[in-house]
Amino acid sequence: MPETIPQNGGFMAAAYIVTAVVLLSYTVALYLRARKR
Amino acid sequence: MTLTRKGQAVTLIGLLSLAGVYVRAIGYTPIEIHQGLAQKIFYIHVPAAIYAEVAMMLVGLGGVLYLFLKDPRLDRFAAASAEVGTAFAVVVLTTGPIWGKTVWGTWWAWDARLTSTLLLFFLYIGYLLLRGTVTDPGARARYSAVVGICGTALIPFIHLSVYLFRTLHPQPIILKPSAPSLPWSMLETWLLSLGAFTVLYVGFVMQRYAIGAEERDHA
Repeated sequence: MPETIPQNGGFMAAAYIVTAVVLLSYTVALYLRARKR
Repeated sequence: MTLTRKGQAVTLIGLLSLAGVYVRAIGYTPIEIHQGLAQKIFYIHVPAAIYAEVAMMLVGLGGVLYLFLKDPRLDRFAAASAEVGTAFAVVVLTTGPIWGKTVWGTWWAWDARLTSTLLLFFLYIGYLLLRGTVTDPGARARYSAVVGICGTALIPFIHLSVYLFRTLHPQPIILKPSAPSLPWSMLETWLLSLGAFTVLYVGFVMQRYAIGAEERDHA
């Protein structure tokens, strides 16, 4: 009997979104700090 | 072209590369049959973990060299690497529990790997707080160097913790003495992601270093 693949795409999406948010937020923070100088 | 501009350009390349990794990982990389789509968290979690650790090793290296050479550029580089490492540690400590919940059935376990990685994050926070509280530049650089060296000593323990203790966290499937236990199609995506994180690390550090240099000039 073939094994069923777990339906957990939401977890993947959450992790990818969190990573994008953290890295984009840091990019924007660095940009704004550089502009303030 | 200033260092800030160069850093911004490198960061942009890194972000575009990471977007490409997202597309490749989601659309063109096979789905692992036991873990399903959640296994694809691997492509961002592991490179982020590697750079959270590499960043701390470079903080320590910068600290050691500063203590010998007393060159403020080394201290500035260490500070930049610590801040970038903190950002990557946040990625590791958020994506890890999301992956763990679906694979292990729990968000968190106080096993050696997870706890030591959390300790690494706290060391980063302590390092940055220390830098914010000590006003004398010489003392700040010396104290920070010591914390950075302590942080570096933690890195081998984090990597070996899965061998030394019984942990929920799996053993490495790429960074191990034998060949990676991963099909080439998955390894290729992972290597692309590692490349994207490398470019991001360099871009972030260049920008943060430039900010540190300007802060010194205005002081």
